Amino acid sequence: MPSLIKLDAGSDQPRALTVQDAFVFVHDEEPIPAACDIVVTLSRLSSEGDDLLASGRRVGVRLQPSEAVEDLAYDLPRLAVVQLVFAKFRDGRPYSSARVLRERLAYQGEVRAVGDVLREQAMHMVRCGFDAFEPADGSSPEQWVAAAYRYRHVYQRAADEREPIHVERAQIASGLGHNRPDEVGA
Amino acid sequence: MKVLTANSLTTGEVVFWNAGRWAVAFNDGQRFDGDEDAAGALTAAEDQPRMVVAPYLIDVEDMDGHWVPVAYRERLRALGPSNHPQHGKQADGDADVQALAAVTSSARSTGRIKLIRR
Amino acid sequence: MYRYDDLDRQMLTDRSNEFRHQAARRLSGEITEDQFKPLRLMNGLYLQLHAYMLRVAIPFGTLSTAQLRRLAWVATTYDKGYGHFTTRTNVQLHWIKLRDAPDILDALAEVGLHAIQTSGNCIRNVTADPYAGATADEVDDPRVWAEAIREWSTVHPEFSYLPRKFKIAVTAAEKDRAAIRSYDIGLHLRRTRDGELSFEVMAGGGQGRTPYLAKTIREHLPASRLLSYLDAILRVYNRAGRRDNIHKARIKILVNSLGVEEFARQVEAEWAQIEAAEVDLPDTELARIRAAFQPQVFDPQPAVSPVFEAAKAADPEFARFARRNVHPHKVPGYAILDISLKAPGETPGDASSAQMETVADLADAYSQGEVRVNYTQNLVLPHVKLADVPAVYARLKEARLATANIDLITDIIACPGLDYCTLANARAIPVAQAIAKRFADPERAEAIGELGIKISGCINACGHHHLGAIGILGVDKKGEEYYQLSLGGSAGADAELARILGPAMSGQSIPDAIETLVETYLAHRQDGERFLDTVRRTGLQPFKEAVYAVAD
Repeated sequence: MPSLIKLDAGSDQPRALTVQDAFVFVHDEEPIPAACDIVVTLSRLSSEGDDLLASGRRVGVRLQPSEAVEDLAYDLPRLAVVQLVFAKFRDGRPYSSARVLRERLAYQGEVRAVGDVLREQAMHMVRCGFDAFEPADGSSPEQWVAAAYRYRHVYQRAADEREPIHVERAQIASGLGHNRPDEVGA
Repeated sequence: MKVLTANSLTTGEVVFWNAGRWAVAFNDGQRFDGDEDAAGALTAAEDQPRMVVAPYLIDVEDMDGHWVPVAYRERLRALGPSNHPQHGKQADGDADVQALAAVTSSARSTGRIKLIRR
Repeated sequence: MYRYDDLDRQMLTDRSNEFRHQAARRLSGEITEDQFKPLRLMNGLYLQLHAYMLRVAIPFGTLSTAQLRRLAWVATTYDKGYGHFTTRTNVQLHWIKLRDAPDILDALAEVGLHAIQTSGNCIRNVTADPYAGATADEVDDPRVWAEAIREWSTVHPEFSYLPRKFKIAVTAAEKDRAAIRSYDIGLHLRRTRDGELSFEVMAGGGQGRTPYLAKTIREHLPASRLLSYLDAILRVYNRAGRRDNIHKARIKILVNSLGVEEFARQVEAEWAQIEAAEVDLPDTELARIRAAFQPQVFDPQPAVSPVFEAAKAADPEFARFARRNVHPHKVPGYAILDISLKAPGETPGDASSAQMETVADLADAYSQGEVRVNYTQNLVLPHVKLADVPAVYARLKEARLATANIDLITDIIACPGLDYCTLANARAIPVAQAIAKRFADPERAEAIGELGIKISGCINACGHHHLGAIGILGVDKKGEEYYQLSLGGSAGADAELARILGPAMSGQSIPDAIETLVETYLAHRQDGERFLDTVRRTGLQPFKEAVYAVAD
């Protein structure tokens, strides 16, 4: 069972913590366990979603790379977590899924990276709106954050708060300087 | 007959297996008569991921008394590029290398064994 | 030209630090080769036949002299004293050691060079017209937009793990010198009737196993909306492109399986939902980039240079160089000067460190410190006074760089082929060398006229064989190197894919076959038409008969 790392949204500096995973993923053929927070597949959510959501527990969904986040739109406000599966770390579809979740569907809950989740992709994941990670490579929260914020600048806006280089340039040009966290970690 | 080859992890240089060590010259490579010995060496080599990248077996044949790789690609690996005769292993040019070069330039390319993608 | 500011440079430093870290983790065994390989590839580091190869990006083919000198220094210090310029306007160093790679990247970063995204399934180095900023037939400097694309695509959080590699080319001139229709996205900048800059956006081009020319998905895109539109294309591709089969993963397959109208519809639908203001560059940033490409100050010159004219009259060799390698500049009295890296017998696209130094010296003295790399594997001095051309020529000649063969039969494009590349089936360089030697007589080559021969050592088509007036593809036929000829390809505004002539033949028979093709062309030529025009007019039949009659 990989550990769960969550970004610490309350911190000024980029920070992450290991947290206890409250959710149990339930395979389609398994019965729904009693009284605990669960994550189910998209097909189960479609067929049993209303019952599950009415059962007084937190419910999340796990999407395969080929499944569209747009299909969640109706249930989305009631979902506590959306887990996006990296079937292989080379499969980049979940990055688009996460951005659409955050930027277009305005999803506020947890977006968790599961599957072939490696530190080398930490920055891409954080920038696309993931805020929880099950690293497959045993990364610690410190290593994760160091990798995610290794670059002092970014060239484009994404689902995170970071401003692109051209905004920094405009601030420098107007004499405002630029406020950014110093390089984190090594 | 087979020879086990790979590229060195740190330098990328072509290397040939000989009894658990890696030689840089094709002629210093160990030749395996039996498939079992060759497969055993390959397994051992794959256990050295900090030494080499992607070890694999190649077929070699006796041509005019010299052992040469069957595949043209492997002859190029054992010698160096044909557009720069002073680059690669052919630059050192001892008798074995010269023999290999002579055979290579006279021969046509023949069956490649395993196309690896890097 | 654009020079990296502190922030751009910090990006490069951070990148090379990241790679140093990753390489150390690989060497210590902390990550496996399978995990490391995509990381090194995204930094341009391949493992080839004899060593590692480092592919350094030359964004839109523009080099400063400091950058060219640094490349020469790296080639001398860490390689075997030469570099290979490619059809994607990158430069490859073929004898690199993994342990040196982080130091090399640091050395390159100091002058604003890098190998970011020169491999891997990401947005690759963006290319542009090599005559940008110097040619009279452009509506704008395409590098302004290419630089905007470079920044937008660098370490893109969403588009770094695409189904397959992704290449973008930009031109702003009617004559397409960047082969834009062979790209995943080709961008052609024009001015609308009311004077606005507008892109024709083409998608789905590519060579390789299944060649396609890019198709127009939008006739008029307001130029300032470029980045958000690219975002939409990439998102559609990232989500819908095939990932189950590497041979069907390029965007060309998606465009052609959906149909260009449906693909365009999906892009438009996605674009309509993108918050374009978040993506498109503000005018101030575009103005900053534009300022970097502001036209240099050109001293007023007479349109006709007596020095240049006298040199042509005095020296027939120089006159040939002037005919082949010197092209009109937008400013009277100036010229664009092509430097051929195709001296007969040499490796197409190779330049030694000493030659790079020479070109850098000449660019400093005579071309406002700028050098261009052309996808035809040649270099360009973009801003040379006509009066200085004889002096430049003399220095080039000393450095064996004055070959007067641009666009002629000896100006051959060839990939590194089986001599270096792990993907290749057959060698390309020796074939190019043999053909160039056969046609080494410059008078004969000029009499034959424009004829592009393009050679690839495998179906991946790095040597652009699909776009050659004569294309040559190396294949593996029962373990032997064989070569398949095709005719009638073109990369320009009249882009067309070459058609296969007939069965493949051995490498030794290629020069004779080319000879036969040339004789057939000369026998059929009308009114001085090009080889390509004759092939298009007559079809393949006379050429096929001539080449294969000998064999029968």
